[in-house]
Amino acid sequence: MEYENVLVDLDGPVGVVTLNRPRVLNALSPVLVGELNDALGRLDADPEVRAAVLTGGPRVFAAGADIGDMSERSPVEQLQRDQTGRWGPVAAFTKPLIAAVNGYALGGGCELALMCDLIVAGDSARFGQPEINLGIIPGAGGTQRWPRTVGKYVAMEVNLGGAPITAQRAYQLGLVNKVVPAEVTIEVARGIAHQLAAKAPVALRLAKESVNRALETSLQEGLAVERKNFYFLFATEDQKEGMRAFLEKRKAQFAGR
Amino acid sequence: MAEAKTAVEVVRYTVENGVAWIRLNRPETMNAVNGALRRALADSVKQADRDEAVKVVVVTGEGRAFCAGADVREFQSREGALEGIQQDYEFLLSRLWSMAKPTIAAMNGVAAGIGASLALVCDLRYAVPQASFVEAFVKIGLTVDGGATWLLPRLLGSAKALELFYTGDPLNAAEAERLGVVNRVVEPERLEPTVRELAERLAAGPSHALGAIKRSVGYAMNATLEEAMEFEFHLQGVQMRRVDFKEGVAAFLEKRQPRFQGGGSGPPA
Repeated sequence: MEYENVLVDLDGPVGVVTLNRPRVLNALSPVLVGELNDALGRLDADPEVRAAVLTGGPRVFAAGADIGDMSERSPVEQLQRDQTGRWGPVAAFTKPLIAAVNGYALGGGCELALMCDLIVAGDSARFGQPEINLGIIPGAGGTQRWPRTVGKYVAMEVNLGGAPITAQRAYQLGLVNKVVPAEVTIEVARGIAHQLAAKAPVALRLAKESVNRALETSLQEGLAVERKNFYFLFATEDQKEGMRAFLEKRKAQFAGR
Repeated sequence: MAEAKTAVEVVRYTVENGVAWIRLNRPETMNAVNGALRRALADSVKQADRDEAVKVVVVTGEGRAFCAGADVREFQSREGALEGIQQDYEFLLSRLWSMAKPTIAAMNGVAAGIGASLALVCDLRYAVPQASFVEAFVKIGLTVDGGATWLLPRLLGSAKALELFYTGDPLNAAEAERLGVVNRVVEPERLEPTVRELAERLAAGPSHALGAIKRSVGYAMNATLEEAMEFEFHLQGVQMRRVDFKEGVAAFLEKRQPRFQGGGSGPPA
């Protein structure tokens, strides 16, 4: 897997995808988005891979879209390119996806982080939707995922005000799982990914699907989805192995079946 | 251009032996803070933070005052507009608070209002016997600002802080030392040599470790014990991979003084 804008590193069962346009603060060009989608699609399809980390490296996560590339575009051109609509594969990734965020996660970069399942932030991280300052609004989920995560009022502050929030505030708001020294953000995210990779893959997948459904459906429907997934897991070998290992007081070895 | 020249003069900024000296230099006004001084201080602090050769920062005043606070003459002019002041103060004070380098206030005299905040936001304070902290906002019908409501209660408790804020009475150097706000009181002729000795000693130390200590203490202010321990632990892991740690251990085993390389002290920003 050779890409221009994205690095993919396989660390046992953990795939690490690094946005790699540091000179432009990992601006999310159409090419980069295409490569990222392709990379994640391959990791999702690879049965050896059980979790993934998405990072922008040590200094910046991603500082939004390529504005120079966008400034003179017409609505029809925007629609035809459908840049913000091309994020499907990221959000549809079925395995645990952990964002390791250092420095700025702004605009599309912030929206990308919000598509992940867990967020580890370096103490230098900043999250924001500055689109409003350019006379536009977020186009890849910013106005939808913020309120689902931190509630209406902070979402309004971030989307209307355009000022980024600190890692510490994001942690207090529940947007971020952990704040760690920026030197170890990626390492900590990898560690979490390895922990998750040791769990039963089918159960992880259905847990992720069930939690995500909670944000999109009524409680009754969500509970029904959860119950079906719960019952379904009793058809897996991993459920048998997990419970047997528990009773035998040993560590389970999950096969992903 | 004229303003840039003024800005250079109102703060004297020098770097010696790894120590940045930021000297407030409006002695004729007891280093009262006007727009030019605010901006010059902000520039100096930013420069000290960015400069990899700077390991420790000292803030002090020229003349008989450390800093007499905001220049009241500016209050009624456009220069004194509250919003601009707030931004400048926030930048200056939070940069000093968060920069991963030791900061020392060498208090050569009175520190009032924003001057007191400037001293309080530093990591350590050394003061002459004549120095004092004055939070006299109430005497002109104002509330306290410059972060003092956050800084001072953390240093000496809320009851003592509120007493100083309510009365506007000064806190003298000896009492401040007794309360732990001032690290040490030294005679005027000993102030600069004492601070220099300490600052240069710290500057010769393992600057990554000093920066990590400051970051951990800052993080812990807003964290639970468990969160703070995890943050410490991660930074310890980083330290253990550095050459200064290897040198420190080798020197200990060989019963000699370590020779630290230091290097940048902050996180990859």
